[in-house]
Amino acid sequence: MNRVLFNFDNKILDQIHNSSLELLKETGVRFPNKEALDIFKLHGFKTHGDMVFFLWKDIEKALTTVPETFELHARNRDNSFVLGDDSYRMAPGYGPPFIIENSGEMRPAMLDDTKKFCKLVQTSKALDFNSSIVAQPNDVPAETAHLDMLLSTMLLTDKPLMGSTSSKTCAQDSLEMAQIIWGNIDKPIMLNLVDSLSPLQYAEEMVDSLLVYSRAKQPLIIHSSCSMGSSGPITLAGSLVISNACTLAGICLTQLVNPGTPIVYGLGGSPTDMKTGGYVNASPEDAKHTAIVTALGKYYHIPCRSQGALTEAFELNYQAGMESSMMLTTAALSGAHVSLHACGTYGSMLAMSFEKFLADEDLCNAIKTLMKPVEFSEDAFAMDMIKKLGTSGNYLIEPHTAKRCRSEFYIPDLNIRAIHSKWLKMEPRQMDQRASQLLEKRLSAYEKPDIDPSVETELIKYVEIKKGQ
Amino acid sequence: MAIPDIVNSVVAMDRISVVEHIKAAMENGIPIDDILNKGLIQAMDVVGEKFSNGEVFVPEMLMAAKAMQTGLEILKPHLTGDALMEKGTVIIGTVKGDLHDIGKNLVSMMVEGAGFNVIDLGVDVDIDKFLSEAQTNDADVVCLSALLTTTMPTMAKAVEAFKEAGLKAKIIIGGAPVTDAYAKQINADGFSDNAPGAVELIRKLMAA
Repeated sequence: MNRVLFNFDNKILDQIHNSSLELLKETGVRFPNKEALDIFKLHGFKTHGDMVFFLWKDIEKALTTVPETFELHARNRDNSFVLGDDSYRMAPGYGPPFIIENSGEMRPAMLDDTKKFCKLVQTSKALDFNSSIVAQPNDVPAETAHLDMLLSTMLLTDKPLMGSTSSKTCAQDSLEMAQIIWGNIDKPIMLNLVDSLSPLQYAEEMVDSLLVYSRAKQPLIIHSSCSMGSSGPITLAGSLVISNACTLAGICLTQLVNPGTPIVYGLGGSPTDMKTGGYVNASPEDAKHTAIVTALGKYYHIPCRSQGALTEAFELNYQAGMESSMMLTTAALSGAHVSLHACGTYGSMLAMSFEKFLADEDLCNAIKTLMKPVEFSEDAFAMDMIKKLGTSGNYLIEPHTAKRCRSEFYIPDLNIRAIHSKWLKMEPRQMDQRASQLLEKRLSAYEKPDIDPSVETELIKYVEIKKGQ
Repeated sequence: MAIPDIVNSVVAMDRISVVEHIKAAMENGIPIDDILNKGLIQAMDVVGEKFSNGEVFVPEMLMAAKAMQTGLEILKPHLTGDALMEKGTVIIGTVKGDLHDIGKNLVSMMVEGAGFNVIDLGVDVDIDKFLSEAQTNDADVVCLSALLTTTMPTMAKAVEAFKEAGLKAKIIIGGAPVTDAYAKQINADGFSDNAPGAVELIRKLMAA
């Protein structure tokens, strides 16, 4: 299946690539991290202070060792999946510190919210893995919140997970907790997000995390994003070049540390709201950006990440649906392999919402159906049945229909398909309120996945000890 | 006509015209303080209001601020005492561990445009630096910015450090994840979720 929304002339991609190389060679990228600078120097890179300069041969060498696909292993083997093939994998929101309620009230997220989201991820037909910060809890100390979030993910879900990249300690703790489950880590078991800081630099803590995970050969999403018009050029072309240069520099470092470290290529570019200076995540420009970025990922033969079901809205309304759908559909049809923020975010990723999460699940499932290849088997053509029924047939009573009636079509959990009179009498009728009802059902039906009790005890003990330190 | 021309030139982001009209006003004997307060600062108030109403976009506001600054450079040698210092000194920076500065820069430019003496400490600023700069410069207001939830606790520590040090400076906070409730929780003196709001807040605190 060739999932390409826009066909980009290779000459354009060459131009983006060559312009990025020009920046890497002449302007360089800032790595304010002594360990990283020493690695670059050891490999003969030109440096000046914190700035590192790259040549095409350096980037080319790095790209040759990045695997085109890799398997992300889950605690439950049935949930493991390959990244980089034709499939599209989704995770929920990443990083929002707030929860928006149906009333519109925005409140700080709590650890209990994190746990509820973990339960939703576990029972989700749409989501393939969990984010490491599905909602940043405010009722636990920020310094150790990563431990609470990881413990929740590890105990309440058995899907693949992400590690923390907030600091070197966070990354090391994540790996140590993973070791309690997997023992010796000799395969990709934890996907980790390293974001650059536009323009053309990385924060020290992010580089620390990059080094920790690269040494353990754990997959990294190397993602560069700029706010077009404020932290990068206002034009799509310029923002692509600046972000691509930064991502390539980050990828290069991972391969210097540990050749073959699995990478997910990521660029983002969102318009700056010229009326306020704010960051606008959900926009046609961002969607177009996504389409080109996935083309660039293919150009470099690296699995690529795109944005998710983003919106600027703060409630479950037309805007939320329109923007989320535009963003996620573009990613899917462009050929992205991974989307974070696929479920639950409002207001440029500032807040999570349980109700939006459930609405987004319908969107994700619809998109997965949209992407599913059309079946052209003998049974699907059903020629014998068509001939038999001719012009007078009722297909509803045919065994062929009955056999496929639960699996052939997308069936929404929240979107309605009722007749008008039934809809009018529906109680509650509003989507956000129906989502709240569904939320209760989902949470009450949740069953904790099996885990070796000794592993669970050890994980809990590890977190307690670490918090005590 | 000289003062309205200065205002109009700043609003039109026309640096050359600002310079011409300021020179003309000075030649006509218009008091320097009037050129500053009724001309340049008034112009930025107009721009700030238009910005708040969505009529002026951010880059246009910044260009207007630059035009205002250009005019100010001409006035500076003629200002009696230090008119800017008299309005008050504002220290601003993004807290330690945080390198995000778009919002901080916007506030910085707008506060400067409103006629305050602004000392921008940049990003990744530790509490001691905020304290020492506030002491050295006898700051009236200190603005702390953070984008990351992980760096927000630094704001609480900074407020505590300022209160303990007994400094007169008021501390206000801002940034995407920062809320009014958080400002109250950490005993900050104020919060704004937008740049013109920050200017208004500083004016209120200075008047109090």
